[in-house]
Amino acid sequence: MNQAGKLGQSRAGGRLGKWWKRGGELAGRHTSSLLMFMVLCVVVAVGAFMIGDLHTASAQVQKMYAGSVQGLRSIGELQYEAQETRRSTLYALTTNDSNLQVEYADQSRAADQLVTEGIGRYLAGARVPQEIELGKRLQGDWAVYLKVRDEVLASILEGSIKEAVDLDLSGGVPSFDRVRQDLEEIKRLYDEEASDQLALVDASSRRSVIRLMGVLSFTLLFASVSVWAIQRSKMMNAVRLAKLQMDFVASVSHELRTPLAVICASAQNIADGVVDQKEQLAKYGSVIRHHSTQLTELVNQILQFAATHEGRNRYTLRPLEVNAVITSVLTNTRELAEEAEAKVEEYVADDLPPVMADFPALCQCLQNLFVNALKYGGKNPAITIRAACVHGDNGRTDEVWISVEDHGIGIDGGELKQIFEPFYRSPVVTAAQIHGTGLGLPLAKSIAEAMGGKISVVSKLGVGSRFTLQLPVAHPIRLKSQNQVEQGVPQS
Amino acid sequence: MRQGLRRKLGLVTAGLCLLLSTSQGGATGGGAVPAAIESSLAVIVNQTNPIDDLSLKELRTVFLGERSHWPNGRRITLVMMDSGQEERTAVLRDVCHMSETEFSRHFLQGLFTGEVFVSPKTLSTPVGVRKFVFNVPGAIGYVKASDVDGTVKVIKINGHSVGDPEYPLHIEVRPAK
Repeated sequence: MNQAGKLGQSRAGGRLGKWWKRGGELAGRHTSSLLMFMVLCVVVAVGAFMIGDLHTASAQVQKMYAGSVQGLRSIGELQYEAQETRRSTLYALTTNDSNLQVEYADQSRAADQLVTEGIGRYLAGARVPQEIELGKRLQGDWAVYLKVRDEVLASILEGSIKEAVDLDLSGGVPSFDRVRQDLEEIKRLYDEEASDQLALVDASSRRSVIRLMGVLSFTLLFASVSVWAIQRSKMMNAVRLAKLQMDFVASVSHELRTPLAVICASAQNIADGVVDQKEQLAKYGSVIRHHSTQLTELVNQILQFAATHEGRNRYTLRPLEVNAVITSVLTNTRELAEEAEAKVEEYVADDLPPVMADFPALCQCLQNLFVNALKYGGKNPAITIRAACVHGDNGRTDEVWISVEDHGIGIDGGELKQIFEPFYRSPVVTAAQIHGTGLGLPLAKSIAEAMGGKISVVSKLGVGSRFTLQLPVAHPIRLKSQNQVEQGVPQS
Repeated sequence: MRQGLRRKLGLVTAGLCLLLSTSQGGATGGGAVPAAIESSLAVIVNQTNPIDDLSLKELRTVFLGERSHWPNGRRITLVMMDSGQEERTAVLRDVCHMSETEFSRHFLQGLFTGEVFVSPKTLSTPVGVRKFVFNVPGAIGYVKASDVDGTVKVIKINGHSVGDPEYPLHIEVRPAK
């Protein structure tokens, strides 16, 4: 099957897909932060909601104050001044001194002026037909009373006390009673309005409290769930890490045990004198050296991963010829390739620019990819190494892509993310008795990222895998088509 | 002849007083009023009173309480100022032609015999007089022309308005000591 075409699909999806993927990765890495951010958003939303509710309640209270409360106060003042008008008139009855009588008449007129103005204001502010009708009635009744009051005052000042009293009883008292009733009626209207508005404020307040409680409960629940999720996520990660570490220990132990057992048995045979011929001794020595080297490499790999993981490794980046790196890797792994009877094809472009990298680290990175291809490439693996200069992801920077492709067991789509996690080993390879530490790919990825590059993978179970190392070039050069790598077009 | 001389003297003195008050920056409220009006005595009635003009003789009848009602049927209420005030003195002299004692005796006797129908109301200030007249539709009183405002109506005497040269009622201005 032509896997190159399938691998080319890795670049499909467009910018939105990339952002979505990046967002997913970010969310995966920063679950706690994301949840806390969401809680913060909810709290801000609740705060805004509460402010809105308080603003509404405040507006209702202000409306109530401006309408009913001030109206009631005005009516109270009107009632007082109306009483003052009448009271001053009656005071004039209590004296024969014309000077005092004139004073009382003056007071009465000053008070009645205030009442007349107050009624005018009430009428000007009246909106409801009932208010307007009541205001006009009050205005009429007040005018009638004032007419009688004037007559009474005139009689008092003339000295006709009996006539004044008769006038007041027959006309003044009834007309003033009507005025009083009108004022009481207006007061009752304001009372009703105030009660309605108070009920509105009360209902609004109750509604706000219920909403607030609901929203706070939701926030509390959401926060609890978030905390729970965070804790659970951390716990699961810890459990997973512990399991991976246990697997790693088991795997490493297994990896150590086999060569150690071989070394031990060989040494025992030599010690027991079972081997005495020179050729046999040389063979046993070769076996011991081989397995010792294997052990050393394993230990070195673990130590290097630990150092890379903790950021202790410092790489010296300098322009490197990719061709030399690939040659070095193939030389280092020739023995393994021959042992596996692998068929290795190499397509490296002639005008490949140098990359910015650290030589030993880059060799280690590529070697891990190549050894993986040997291990998981099936029987007599066919491995293809390609290298070409292509356009970078951002459309500006040139990169060199070095891909290692095999046609082996492949990787399940669900595992593609996990294979770069330390100590992870696929159940498929475990079942297939393929030994490993689960550190090769994580180490390669760490090295690539430390040098400003990255590793991507395209794979299909049962078809094969292609790992691509992308590295920035040391100097910008003429761009080549991206297809040179993806489609595997030989450059030389 | 004597009355005309007295009037000329009054006009000159009032003019001098006005000049003096203006030069001192005083604001008596009558600064813009001519000297002739300043010393005139205005007879005032309620705004609703239809009377516009009275002869001096009719005025005398009213002020002596010998007339009880106005033509519109309103009872006449006579308003006088306290004794000793220059407005009252002027009315007693120029309208009633009586002294204070004669005036008091006239009313006591008239009320007793029934020849007088109303007894005068006495107020202490021109403002009080004005307010009284404003409040009582049938009231009639007098104040200095400068004390008049829009709340009351000033009537003509013998067809002359206040300020006319022939207007008969003036306050005797006492010479400064």
